[in-house]
Amino acid sequence: MLWYKSFLETRWRFLIGLAILMLSVTGTVLAYPRVARLLPLVPSIDTSGELGRRIKDIADLSRTYRGYIWAQTLRQNVTQMLSFFAVLLGAGGLLSQASGSGALFTLSLPVSRNRLLGVRTATGLAELAALAFVPILLLPVISPAVGERFGIPEALAHGVCFFAAGAVLFSLTCLLSTMFNDMWRPVLIGCAVAVVLGIAEALFPELSQYSLYGVMSGERYFRGGGMPWLELLASAAVSAAMLFAASRNLARQDF
Amino acid sequence: MSEPFVIETSELRKQYDGVEALRGLSLQVPAGSIYGFLGRNGAGKTTTIKLLLGMARPTSGTAMVFGRPSTLEAASVEIRRRIGFVSDQKDLYDYMTVDEMIRFTAPFFPRWRADLEQRYRRSFELPADRKVKALSRGMRTKLALLLALCRGAELLILDEPTSGLDPAMTEEVLQSLVAHVASEEMTVFFSSHQIAEVDQIGDHVAIIDRGRTVVAGALDDLRDQYRRIELVFAGDAPEATFRSPGVERVRRKGRVLTVLSSAGSDRFVAEARALNPVSVDVAAVTLKEIFLETVVGEA
Repeated sequence: MLWYKSFLETRWRFLIGLAILMLSVTGTVLAYPRVARLLPLVPSIDTSGELGRRIKDIADLSRTYRGYIWAQTLRQNVTQMLSFFAVLLGAGGLLSQASGSGALFTLSLPVSRNRLLGVRTATGLAELAALAFVPILLLPVISPAVGERFGIPEALAHGVCFFAAGAVLFSLTCLLSTMFNDMWRPVLIGCAVAVVLGIAEALFPELSQYSLYGVMSGERYFRGGGMPWLELLASAAVSAAMLFAASRNLARQDF
Repeated sequence: MSEPFVIETSELRKQYDGVEALRGLSLQVPAGSIYGFLGRNGAGKTTTIKLLLGMARPTSGTAMVFGRPSTLEAASVEIRRRIGFVSDQKDLYDYMTVDEMIRFTAPFFPRWRADLEQRYRRSFELPADRKVKALSRGMRTKLALLLALCRGAELLILDEPTSGLDPAMTEEVLQSLVAHVASEEMTVFFSSHQIAEVDQIGDHVAIIDRGRTVVAGALDDLRDQYRRIELVFAGDAPEATFRSPGVERVRRKGRVLTVLSSAGSDRFVAEARALNPVSVDVAAVTLKEIFLETVVGEA
């Protein structure tokens, strides 16, 4: 029943996130024929500046359907939105409910705090997995509608990258939620960290494939370098460490 | 219930951000009793209950429930399996319906009483499909009570169970409690700042003030032992020091010396006669008077 309770507490964040991500992926796919028609009209761009280089990069990538999907949706829309919803899913929990919203009732149940956190974390990670895989798995399903193909193995590979990197932000907010007794500070700090990581990636593009967003977008996999196993493992280790810290923190809390 | 005391605390202290909520609280709650835990707002009642349920850790001292330390996580889980609890805020999940709340809670308690659940659902007239957030304060209290009473618990811990209720609803809740306890073998430990409530349903009481127990015992014993003795003198009452045991309070006002004794009146009266009072009047005291003398008198 704790699973059910955890799901009830996060279901709107999860369902809204799922709907937005699915709409975003679908919209990007359905827009492809129009983009493909416009691409030959793109004039040659002066690539001396950073902005020009980026525009040219996107235009070049978009000349193939696979490149277009990666550049438009996997590297941008899905990465950004999944980061935001990972932060949202991690927020909440016992401490934010402490003032009359059910925390004392939960704590009066014959259940350890570790189990409470474990169920909540597992539910959140399951929802995050759904956010990471379901929209991406739409690609093989709806691509034929625009006369293109997107392989299921490729979709799964990107799903793994989204999930592993998203879990880092999720775990960070879980940890923050055991430190602050409201829901908003963990969300705001989580978002701030996500933004700072994005800025750092923009400042040091040569390190982008090792950054959190580089891992999340599956850049190395897309560019033919195979799965970034080491980075995925590092993400999992960082997540596990933060969740462990969250459990220790929760065990120490007074309600 | 093999332990003579279901709850035992010794020198329990709890400090929050430099504020001492409990300052050496010692309690012994006998098995089978209805134990009123009386104190003013902020006296440390809720903190004590949180420590008993493992929701907070004591700064020092021990808290044992069913003979097991509530401070250890594993023991605390087992303790909570045998406890029904209602918090002062009637903490429930606003997003669940009444029915969902009951179906959520029941599986955690192997001795869940489905028969009582049906009975209380009917007698409390709880609307099964209504969300908890849409319940009135009274209905919310009844639901919280149902969830506590049906756990098949050996110990009920109720933190201000009637707070915020109108007198009619208070009476209904208290009567339900009394009827439940009369039919089930259990201990009830309930906190309150309503003296009449404790007087009405309790058989034992502890009065706490500023984190310490100031009076504790069986209500009947307290009623037997506590006496107010009024000595009237021909002139101004003398400033006297008494050696008799149990002298809790001495007040002088003009010709009258009023003493609160917690050890009957015989020995004190014998000692007081040496002061040659014009009259000696001994009267029984109510729980309210004991409370006011021991708690408010200390303020």
